[in-house]
Formats: sequence, C-alpha cells, structure tokens
Amino acid sequence: MSMICIENVSKTYNAGTAQAFDVLKDINIEIEDAKTVILSGISGSGKSTLLSLIAALDKPSSGKIQVADELISKLPDRHASAYRAKTIGVIFQHFNLLESLSVEENVMAALIHSGLPMAEIKEKVAKSMQLASISHKATQDINSLSGGEKQRCAIARALVHEPKIILCDEPTANLDKANALKFIEILKTLHQMGKTIIIATHDPLFESLDFVDKIIHLEDGMIREKTE
Amino acid sequence: MLNSTFLHFLTLLLFKQKSKHIGTVLVSVMVIFLLSSVLFISSSLQSSLMKTLQGEADFTVTKLKAGETTQTPNEWMDKIEQMNGISALSPRVYGRYFYAPKEKSFLVVGVDFFEEQNAKTIQKLIDGLDLKAFLSTDSMIVGAGVKQFLEAHYFKNYFTFKTSQGIFKKVKILRTLPSQSNLIANDMVLMPMELAREVLGMAEEEITDITFNVPNDAEWSTIIAKLHLMFNDVRVVEKKEIQKAYENLYNYKGGLFLILYLITLLTFVLILYQRYTMVYSSERKEIGILRAIGWSIQDILKLKFYENIIIVMVSFILGVVLAYGYVFILDAPLLRQIFLGGANLENHVVFTPVVPFGLLGSIFLFYALPFLVAVLIPAWKIAVIPPKEAML
Repeated sequence: MSMICIENVSKTYNAGTAQAFDVLKDINIEIEDAKTVILSGISGSGKSTLLSLIAALDKPSSGKIQVADELISKLPDRHASAYRAKTIGVIFQHFNLLESLSVEENVMAALIHSGLPMAEIKEKVAKSMQLASISHKATQDINSLSGGEKQRCAIARALVHEPKIILCDEPTANLDKANALKFIEILKTLHQMGKTIIIATHDPLFESLDFVDKIIHLEDGMIREKTE
Repeated sequence: MLNSTFLHFLTLLLFKQKSKHIGTVLVSVMVIFLLSSVLFISSSLQSSLMKTLQGEADFTVTKLKAGETTQTPNEWMDKIEQMNGISALSPRVYGRYFYAPKEKSFLVVGVDFFEEQNAKTIQKLIDGLDLKAFLSTDSMIVGAGVKQFLEAHYFKNYFTFKTSQGIFKKVKILRTLPSQSNLIANDMVLMPMELAREVLGMAEEEITDITFNVPNDAEWSTIIAKLHLMFNDVRVVEKKEIQKAYENLYNYKGGLFLILYLITLLTFVLILYQRYTMVYSSERKEIGILRAIGWSIQDILKLKFYENIIIVMVSFILGVVLAYGYVFILDAPLLRQIFLGGANLENHVVFTPVVPFGLLGSIFLFYALPFLVAVLIPAWKIAVIPPKEAML
C-alpha cells in the first residue's frame, strides 16, 4: 500500500519574474508504508525542497502530493498544521530548536496543541527523549548542547507525537562520524517500529545501509535514477 | 480556549525570554506611571477643591470702580436682603496683608461670627473651637502655610500686624485650619470682621463683598439680572465660576507636564517600533519553527496575543501601583512642584486618594491597543508565509 504518492510535482521559486528558478521538475514518486527511502543528490538538486513539500512546509507550483490518502499539496493552513502535528516528524539539518528553552521543553512544544493532559504529555516527552537517547540532558538549555545532542533533541521532538512518517533533511551534515553512526542506529530502531522514513542526504554512509529500501537520485530538480 | 498546557508553555516562554521583554516593560511602566501620577494628582486636587468649595456661597457681589473691584457699600446689604429667594446673606471683609521683611502676603478674611451660619461653619471646621474666647480677645485662626511661616519667624503664639495708620496690632494665633483645606486656605488668616478692618485699614462699616445663597437654581439667572438692574456698577460671581477658575489653574499646570509626557511617549513609540522590527528579526525563526512542528497561524497569534497582553497588564498594574504610592504615600515629590509650586507660602497639600477608574481604563486602552497591534501584525505577517521561508 502506498503511503506517499507524488504525481507530476514541480516547484518554481520567484515564478513569473526574471529570477524564476525551477527547483523541481515533474517529479513522480511512490513510497510504500514502513519503507526507508534515501533522496540523494548534490546541494541544490532539489531534495530538501521535495522534503518540505511532503512536510507541507511549502506548496508545489503544480502537481499533486498525497499522503495516507490525504491530498496535502492544496491543504488550507489549519489542515496543513494538523497534518504536520499528527502525521509528520521532521528532523532539520540545522535542528531548528527554540534556543531559549530546554531539551524537554523543546520536545513538549510539539504537543502543546494536542489537547492531551499535562501528565500524558510529560509521559510522551520522556518516552521520546529515551528513544532519542537524550533523557540525561532533559533540563539542559539548547545552547549548552553539542551538535549531536541537539540533533537527538530534534529527533525526540520529531517522534513525540508518534508520526507515521519521519523526514530527515541532511541529518548527518553537522555531525562527526561517531554521532552520525548513533543517528543511524536510532533510524534503524524507527524502521523496525514500522515508520516510513525519507532521508534527504548526500552522505554516502546511507547508501550502504541494510534497512534502506529505495534510493532516489535527484539532479537539477529531476529524478535521474531509482534504485530498489 | 486556554488550557493548562498552553498556559504552562506561555509562562515558560515569558520567563525564559525575560531579557527580551524587560526594556519594553520598563519604558511602559514609566509611561503609565507618569500619566497615572498626573491623573491621580489632578483628580485628588479637583476632588478636594470640590469638597472645599461646597461650603462656599452661591453668589458673591462686589462693587466695581473703573472696571476694578472696590469696597462695597454696606447699604447694598439691605437692598439685596429685600430680594425674594435669597438666604444666608453675609458681608465679607478681606484683603492681602503684605509682610514686607519676607515679601510674603497673607489673605486676611474678616468673618461676622455673630451671624449664626458663619459661627456654625467655623465650629464644624475646627473641632472644639471656643467661639466666646475667640471673639473676646484679638485672635485669629490661620491656614497651615501661615502657621508654618510664622513659627519659622519666631511668632509662636502671637503675630503683630502693622496697620495702615502705623499702629502695631498684636493678635493671638488661636488655632490652625485643618490640612484638608490647604488647597485654598493655606495662606488664609480668619479673624472677626472688626479686627480684619483694623488690620486692613478699612473704615468702620466698610465691606469688601457680599455673599448669599439662592436655594432655587432656576432663579439664578433672574437674580443676576435683578442685581444688574439694581446696581450699575456690580460684579456678580457665581460659585461655579470660582470652581472653573481653580480647575483651569490646575489643568494649566497639568499642561506643563504634557511636555514631559510627550518625551516619554516618544520613547514609547520608539519601543513599539523596536518591538515591531524585533518580531520581524528574532521572532521570525521562532514562529517558523513552531509552524513547522504543527502550530497553526491561529495558535501563533494566540500565543503572541497572550504573551503581550501579560506584558501589557504587568506594565500597567506596576505603573498604576507605583503612581498610587508615589502620589498618595510619598506625596508626589517633584511633581507636586509643578502643580502647587509658585504659591505665596509653601503649601503642604495632602493628596486625598482618588482613583478615577474611567480615565485609567482609557489610559489602558490607549496604551494596550497600539502595543498589541505593533506585535500582532508582524507576527501575523510572518505566520502566513511558508514555515520553510520563516525558518531561514
């Protein structure tokens, strides 16, 4: 059963102006439930843009994106926010954490509008931090963390609402090898838990992983190669 | 609706980002403090003034000579007494006594204490006053400013007036007027009418003006018209004109403060501008992140609204409470000089607590609305752009 279905998707920045730039051109991808997919390609190939379209952080210029039978490419704001809050967990390249808050407060931020009681939120936050191996830094401010710890905090935040899909944008770009390997271990666990995982990366470390189901190579905004 | 989770997060953000808000709160408190202080002072003065003037006569009649007020003929008393609808008709003798060595003056008021109404009023004003003793010797009752001035110049129990005939008249300082009347009686000296005439160098039977009441308000214009028909050279002053004159005096003094307030207001506008631009720069990423993890535009606006309404409320309450303490507990040092400075004798007016809730409400609106607009509009502008762009 297909979890994500991308049909004829294109994205143009500054459309209609002299600076118009096509980032994605006629993309067609189908990703099945519980699979791990790598979007590879050099910087500027369009992989991060494709991730942000799947996460409904941006809208495609044309084409359709369907996630779990829901057409998310044209969702109004309220529904797009609800979709991000329930279905998607994003791990950003630059972590995008709220610097003034602690680890657990950052993780909690994703559940503020869930309507859950505080006790349950705390329970979920603790579970998620444990999964991301960051519980020992729960009360520490973000500014005092290392790059690897910041990323594990971002992972905990992405997992706290138990999303079906995990999107990772250049997850190892700011990590040393030891932390990159730790991250891969966490990904493996998530894969075993049945999550659909999409990783946008140009790190060759990911291509040889045994749990990767598909590698999609992007070049100049177009799919050049798909490896099953 | 606010739930406990949202409140928890809101409190977290406010406390953890307090350095971001502290400047705004300080300037806001300053603006509210200054404005509320002036409001408290002027409301307190006006309230005291109204209470003090309540006992004043409805009308004061004076003779005019070459456009200037002059001594009023005593026979006017008989003519006015014959008019219908008049009560508490009373002659008054007053004038300024100039104390040359210190270039200060007292307002000497002569009162006919044998007149029942006047006797009752003074006994009501000063507890336990022995009117017999007061009238049997050359005595006076002085305002707080006069008392302080005389004591400072070694006139503890007596003061010697020098009359226009060059005679020295020793008068006993019997009592001091209560401090509540300082607003208009600070430099006043009350004494029996005959003694006042002597001190002021007025002839026997001469009076300065005549006061009376007209209980039926509807008759006021008729009485004024009749007085002008009866006397060609008369000046009639109504009680409300006296009230207006005092109000204008304090409003004018409040106006001086406006310059100070405008400067502070300018700072407030700069702070608003700074908030506006700050939302664009530092809060842009924060809003983008929250949107990326599932917050809707409405959630963001709700967070920003409550965050800033708390800042507004805290600043407002702090400003008003500080102003209350400054005016009614500390007696408004510095600002009182603007309102009461320049008086003949130093005036120790005690500000009676008066809180004008309506005006405070208006201040709150004039402060809170632009503040919230300056924060919510840029927050909304950021919230509607794609989160990916906002996080850059």
